[in-house]
Amino acid sequence: MFLEISGIRKSFGEGESRVEVLRGIDVGIEKGEFCVLLGPSGSGKSTLLNIIGGIDSADSGYIAINGEKTADMNDRALTRYRRRHLGYIFQMYNLIPNLNIKENVEVGAYLSEKPLNTDEILKTLGLYEHRHKLPNQLSGGQQQRTAIGRAIVKNPDILLCDEPTGALDYNTSKEILKLIEEVNQKYGCTVIMVTHNAAIAGMADRVIKLRDGQIRKNTRNEHKIPASELDW
Amino acid sequence: MRNPLTKRLPRELRTGLGKYAVIFIAITGMIAFVSGFLVASNSMVTAYHDSFETYRIEDGNIEFSEIPDEETLNALADGKLDFYENFYKEEPTAEVDSTLRIFRKRTQVDLECLMSGAFPASADEIAIDRLYAENNGLSVGDTLTVARQKLTVSGFVALTDYSALFSSAADMMFDAKRFGVAIMTDEGYDAIRDTHLHFSYAWVWCDKPADDRAAKKLSDGFLEHVADTLKAKAEADAEAAVRAAMERGEDPAAVRMPDFLTVENYIPAFSNQAIIFAGDDMSGDAMMFTIFLYILVAIIAFIMAVTASNTITAEANVIGTLRATGYSRAALTRHYMIMPVAVTLVAAIIGNVLGYTLLKEHMAAMYYNSYCLTTYKTLWNADALIETTVIPVILMVLINFLVIRSKMRLSPLKFMRGELSTSRRRKAFRLNTKIPIMHRFRLRVLFQNLPNYLVLAFGIFLANFVLLFGVMFEPMLANIRDTIVDNMIADYQYMLKTPEEAEEESAEKFQFCTLQTPEGRLPAEGVSVFGFPQDSRYCPAKPDGSAVVISNCYAEKHRVSVGDTVTLEEQYSDGSYQFRVSDVVYYPAGLAVFMTDTQFCEVFDREPDYYTGYFSDKPLSSLDEDNVAACITASDMTKVSDQLMRSMGSIAQGFQVFAVIMFLLLMYLLAKIIIERNSQAISMTKILGYSNREISSLYSTATTVVVLVSVVGTVFLCNSLMEYVLHVAMSRYPGWYEYIADYRQLGLMIVLGLCSYLIISALLMLKIRRIPMSDALKHQE
Repeated sequence: MFLEISGIRKSFGEGESRVEVLRGIDVGIEKGEFCVLLGPSGSGKSTLLNIIGGIDSADSGYIAINGEKTADMNDRALTRYRRRHLGYIFQMYNLIPNLNIKENVEVGAYLSEKPLNTDEILKTLGLYEHRHKLPNQLSGGQQQRTAIGRAIVKNPDILLCDEPTGALDYNTSKEILKLIEEVNQKYGCTVIMVTHNAAIAGMADRVIKLRDGQIRKNTRNEHKIPASELDW
Repeated sequence: MRNPLTKRLPRELRTGLGKYAVIFIAITGMIAFVSGFLVASNSMVTAYHDSFETYRIEDGNIEFSEIPDEETLNALADGKLDFYENFYKEEPTAEVDSTLRIFRKRTQVDLECLMSGAFPASADEIAIDRLYAENNGLSVGDTLTVARQKLTVSGFVALTDYSALFSSAADMMFDAKRFGVAIMTDEGYDAIRDTHLHFSYAWVWCDKPADDRAAKKLSDGFLEHVADTLKAKAEADAEAAVRAAMERGEDPAAVRMPDFLTVENYIPAFSNQAIIFAGDDMSGDAMMFTIFLYILVAIIAFIMAVTASNTITAEANVIGTLRATGYSRAALTRHYMIMPVAVTLVAAIIGNVLGYTLLKEHMAAMYYNSYCLTTYKTLWNADALIETTVIPVILMVLINFLVIRSKMRLSPLKFMRGELSTSRRRKAFRLNTKIPIMHRFRLRVLFQNLPNYLVLAFGIFLANFVLLFGVMFEPMLANIRDTIVDNMIADYQYMLKTPEEAEEESAEKFQFCTLQTPEGRLPAEGVSVFGFPQDSRYCPAKPDGSAVVISNCYAEKHRVSVGDTVTLEEQYSDGSYQFRVSDVVYYPAGLAVFMTDTQFCEVFDREPDYYTGYFSDKPLSSLDEDNVAACITASDMTKVSDQLMRSMGSIAQGFQVFAVIMFLLLMYLLAKIIIERNSQAISMTKILGYSNREISSLYSTATTVVVLVSVVGTVFLCNSLMEYVLHVAMSRYPGWYEYIADYRQLGLMIVLGLCSYLIISALLMLKIRRIPMSDALKHQE
């Protein structure tokens, strides 16, 4: 198993206001798999993604990538783990506002020993002509493409996407989904995408449905729908 | 209904406690200091000005070579002024290395203020100046031996005509340790030998001039009148002597002329440093400290405004929503201004209370440590309140209002969309892509925060200037002192009352007089003119007999070069002399002209065997002690630097502390702004996999570079500025000291600046480490 998620529990708050967000999540994800975490607001999907990404820690249970448990890692090792294995895409892009588009992608490339060619990535993403612009000069879709560029330029093992189309319109959302699909196929990286849009689940290899902090359904898609054919 | 936004304020205070605490302490401290200073200064300046009337301070004094007769005095007064006998005797003291100028207790003019103990009541009692006593560790009841008489110190007094203990008008600085003033009873005074008796008269105008300008006009007229009257008297005395000789049947050409009455010293009060120096100095200090306060408050206000601006950016969404639901732009502007203004207001109030209570006495003590001032009463100072409370609060309001208001101009929609940049359509300027990304990242941080860095550089410049004053002061004075001592003409300079042959081989005769530079670009000031034998052992210069050599101090201050002709004037008559300068010699003790003895006698119309005294490397014991008008040694030559060290030494240390605090404060607040402004980006870089060290290097390198460049660069800039400021300042005073930069001190400044930054960078590293990765998830871009 490439990515093993075992017995993950997580709660926020104390005493009466304590809320258990994840209540024992067990799941395994294969290398190169496209996995969608589907669920309504408050189901715990983003929290699970953050724990996988080493941004947050679990109260109990563990995440292991190639057998290496993140719970055993200190801060420095966790940083190395994120650096080596992960690429992150957020709903609100989280680009560095004072760097131009190319520099934002290069910030990702710097972290890899064998980064992909920045200019080629920019061309693939249709951003080459905008490379000297600042993020706030671009549309939401273009900014999200930049965030994808930043995430994939370091050729990560796992691409974590937290509602990557949540702030985009329908057409732009489909463009972004196509890009993520392409990245998954072209570079063979594992994709874990959080969404509450059930239609998007159609493009995944595996769909994990979460509700109230528990996995309600863990299914493999026998018939994947290409992103270009998604409709909602 | 109460504005619900105000409920946020306590929370805002809690979350920004560190920042507000630092700002509160800085403003409170500075305001307490300035307020205490202004209150003490104003009270003392008022007491000082009142003392002119309360203690009937003279309008001037004039010293004659002998006691003028009643008729001459009346002719000199000419009904325009009243003379008051104000004779004094100057004698060395046995217990301490000093000279005491002793007066009778004055009853009509220049009255004394009793500071502690009692006025002298018997012939063996003496009341001495308080500061002189403190500087020499003397207490009431101690014994002081003056002119072989044992006197008991009955009390400490302040002589109002000696609020600064200048022994001579030509002195650049007073010396309150080796020179003091005292009063005795008539019997006690009469019992002191007359060896060093000075026939000094104080005068008071019958019709007081309205101001210094009118006083100067009156004084100039009076001086001319004195010169004319004494000239006429000398001519009449000469005629009478000739007539008497002729009546006795003697040869009129061989008649011995009587000693003519001459003016030995003349100084109107408005230019008497002993009277006016303290008043001028106290007023100037207040201005300097107030300006420092304003600059500090303006910098803090800017920092607060930038912080508020960053908060507005972070809360853009909420602001947009509030604006859309009906909150006015003004209400939100007020909301973001409340904290900085409230902190300043509270700091100002507490600062003022501290200033009026705890610090006032310390500030007053600072003046009492330098000057011989009379007692004072604390006065309520409305100006101080305005300067330390109203103006800082207005500065804080104004700067914050301008920054926040301009930020609030955008529409609610733009706030909700997070479109806060006014330069949205402008492309980012390009950086060469050959520059590694990490360097470009750092450059972007530098350019992003340029206004902050400019303020930081300016703040460091100010702090460095204060620090330079703090660190260079003592070494500079020590350097000046050593240089003067090393370049003294001889270890002993004896000034004689009448010619007397010395037996010692080391003795070398010299001629001496004092002339003055003409009033022009700089005020008139005394120049020492020396005549030396051609083969002198002591003369630092080699005058050739036709031209003169001048000291470097004279050349530098009056911008005189070799080949120039200088004009010097008699101090109390209209005589004028021109000298061609053949050389400039290094003589740091003051403004001096060196010529041969032959030239001296020719120029000043003296007999060829005329001399004024001796230079010697050893004490001249063969001279009659009573015939020695003065013996000038190293300690006399260095009294200026010594006094400055005594009165300003502790202030200089205070400046060092203040500068380091300013360094820490500015570096911390401004660097913190940069980190806070980028907290989301920092959080994101953490998620991407950057280590804390890498992130620190990204966000701190620009600050480090700015600090390094500013600390090192402004040290040298401050050094040049200090040289210029001292140059200008010294032009106002008699004498000249060259500014010598001590590079070890400049190095120390750099070290202090960088050490301050090291502390701050450690704090910043900690701050970066503490930024959680969840920050990137919480906020919108």
